[in-house]
Amino acid sequence: MSRSIAYTSSPLLASPTPLWRSKFIVAAIALAFAGLVGRAVYIQVIENEFFQRQGEVRFKRTLALPANRGRILDRNGVILASSIPVPSIWAIPEDVPRDPAGLKKLAKLLNMSQAELNKKLEDEDKTFVWLKRQVDESVGQDIAALGLKGIYQRKEYKRQYPEGEAAAHVVGFTNVEDKGQEGMELAFNKELGGRNGSRRVIKDRMGRVVEDVGQQIAPVDGRDLQLSIDSKVQFFTYQALKAAVLEHKAKAGSVVVLDVQTGEVLALANYPSFVPDKRQNLSGAQLRNRALTDTFEPGSTMKPFVIASALEKGMVTPQTAIQTAPGRMTIGSATITDSHPHGVLTVSEVIQKSSNVGTAKIAMQMPAREMWEMYSSIGFGQKPILPFPGAVSGRLRPYKSWRPIEQATMSYGYGISVSLFQLAHAYTIFGRDGDLVPVTMFKMNERAAGVPVIDARHARAVRQMLHLVTGPGGTAPKAQTMGYSVGGKTGTAHKVEGRGYADKKYRGVFAGLAPVDAPRIVVAVMIDEPSNGKYFGGEVAAPVFSQTVQQTLKVLGLAPDMSVIPQIVTGPVEESF
Amino acid sequence: MMRLNLVLLLGVVLSALYLVNVQYESRRLYSDLDRAKARAHQLATENERLQVEKRSQATSARVESLAKSRLQMRAATPAITTYVTYSPAVATLASSGAGHEASAAQGRLP
Repeated sequence: MSRSIAYTSSPLLASPTPLWRSKFIVAAIALAFAGLVGRAVYIQVIENEFFQRQGEVRFKRTLALPANRGRILDRNGVILASSIPVPSIWAIPEDVPRDPAGLKKLAKLLNMSQAELNKKLEDEDKTFVWLKRQVDESVGQDIAALGLKGIYQRKEYKRQYPEGEAAAHVVGFTNVEDKGQEGMELAFNKELGGRNGSRRVIKDRMGRVVEDVGQQIAPVDGRDLQLSIDSKVQFFTYQALKAAVLEHKAKAGSVVVLDVQTGEVLALANYPSFVPDKRQNLSGAQLRNRALTDTFEPGSTMKPFVIASALEKGMVTPQTAIQTAPGRMTIGSATITDSHPHGVLTVSEVIQKSSNVGTAKIAMQMPAREMWEMYSSIGFGQKPILPFPGAVSGRLRPYKSWRPIEQATMSYGYGISVSLFQLAHAYTIFGRDGDLVPVTMFKMNERAAGVPVIDARHARAVRQMLHLVTGPGGTAPKAQTMGYSVGGKTGTAHKVEGRGYADKKYRGVFAGLAPVDAPRIVVAVMIDEPSNGKYFGGEVAAPVFSQTVQQTLKVLGLAPDMSVIPQIVTGPVEESF
Repeated sequence: MMRLNLVLLLGVVLSALYLVNVQYESRRLYSDLDRAKARAHQLATENERLQVEKRSQATSARVESLAKSRLQMRAATPAITTYVTYSPAVATLASSGAGHEASAAQGRLP
C-alpha cells in the first residue's frame, strides 16, 4: 500500500478537470455507437439481401450430377458401347511455369509436338485451355505424377466400343461431348442420354460438402439399348465380307442377316469400315452404312418375285415350259439376251439358270400394275421402317409410266433400285410362308406376325427353285454350305455410270435363305465392283453367303438338316445379266 | 432468485455449447457420408470400366486370332461335329446321321 500512488494527494491530479473534456468523451462515444447502429441497420435491413447473397456465394455451391449415358448391348447382353470416365487435361496458361524440361515431358505424354503445346499455352490472358481431351487413364496418372503447376485434369465420359470396326456402322459413335453422331447412337441419342441433375450444397473451408440446401434434382441415367444384333454373327459376317472384298479387289461390300421368324436384324456389316474410337482420318466411304444408304439395281435377284407373282396369278406352274431359244428377244427397238442360249426351260429352270428371256416372257404376260403391286408390297420404293438415320427408299417408278421394254428389264432387276437391306427384307416372304415380316433392330422373343403377300404354297415352290440355284446346274453352287440346305438367287448387274451402264464395272449380289425346309435366316450379300477377274454374283457373293450361313446357324444352335456332303459338286454355269 | 438465474444461465451456456458440438458432428458425418457416396460412384464407374476392358479382351476377333495363332485351333464344321439331341424320338431318328458324322470326325482328325 505504501508503494502505491496516493491519487488524491498527487499534485498532477490536483488541478481541476475542465467539464468540456468529459462531455466531449461522452459525445464521442455516443457518436461511435450511433455509427455502429447505423452500420448494423445498413447491413441487416437496408442492404440485407446483397450481403446474404454474397455470403452464400462464398460457401454454397451448385454441383452438377452428370447422368450416365446408357449402354448399347447386343442380343446376349454383350457390351457394344459404354461410357466410362477418362481424364481430360486442361491448363491455366498464366500459372504454367516456363520450364522446358517439364514441358517437354508433358508434350511427350500428350503425344504432341512441343511447338503445338507452346502454342496452346501462349495466350496468357486465358484462364482455361484444353490441352487434350479424353486421354488414357495411364497418361492421366503420369501427368499427375509430373506435378506441374497450372495443369489440371477433369473427368469426362468417353464412349468405348469393344467390338471395334465390325459393328461400327450399326452402333455408330458419339462426339467428344458424348452426343450421338451416327447409327444407333444418333437415332436413340435422347433415350441413351438421360438427364443431368444438380444439388445445392454448403462446402466448408476444406472444400468438403457439409450440408445439402434446398432441393436436389437427381440425375436420370440413360436407358440401356438392347439391339437384335448378335455380336458373334456380326463379327463372322464382317470377317467373311472383308476377306471377300479384299480377295476380289472390290470397292466395297455389304451383308445383311435377318432372322426370318422374328424379323430381327442379326447382323449388318459393311466394308470398308472404321474403328469408332479412332476417327481421325475418316472418309465418307468408310462412314457410309451402305446396306441402308446405297441403292443399286438388283439384277437377277428380282426374278423370284416375278415368278412368285406369276404363280400367284395362276399364269404358270413350276413345271410350265418356256421357250427361251435363241437366247434373245426383241421388244420394240431393244433386245434382251441370255449369256447362254438355253432352249426350252421349265419355270423352275428359268430361275435356276437365271434366264433373262424366260423371266421377261413371263413378265410380259402380266399387267404392269400386278408387277408394280408385287414390288411395292415387299417394300421396294419405300423407306424401311427402321430407326436408322439416312435409310433410303430406293426407286420404283409408278407403273403407269412403264414402257413395255422397261417392264421386261424390270423383271430381271434393271430400271429399279433398292438397298441391300430392302432386298434382304423382301426375301423374307420366301423364308416365311409368303408373308412379309416387319423388321426390327431390337430383341424380340417371339415369332412376329407378317403381312401376307403370296400364298404359302407358292412361297414353298419358289423356295425349292432357289434351292435348285445352289445345286448342280444352278448359277451358285458356291452358295452351298456344309450340313445345311440353302437356297438363293444370284444377281450380277452392270453398274450405272453417268447416263448409261459401265462396261466393265459390275456388282455381284446374292440373296438367299437357309435351311430350305424351315428357313431360319435370310442373308443378302452385295460386292461392289469386284475387279480381280471374277465378278458374277455366284462367284463373288455366294461364298460370303455360304460362310455367313454356316457361322450364323452354328451360333443359333441349329443342327444340320443334311448329312454332310462335299462342298462343291459342280462348276457354276455362267449367269445372265 | 439470484441462484436460480445463475443455474439457468449455466444451463443455457451448456446447451449452446452442446448445440455447437452437435452441429459440428452432423457436418462431419455428412461429409463422411458424401465422401462414401462419391467413393461408391467411383467404384461403380471403375466396375464399368473393367467390364468394358474385359469385353474388349474377349471379343470374337481377339479370341479367334489367339485360338488360331497361339493354340493352332480351327473352326468346327458340321463334318467334324457330333450333334446330340435330347428328345428320345428325335434321337433315334438322328442316330444314323450322327453315327455317320462321328465316323467322319474320326476320319478327319489327325
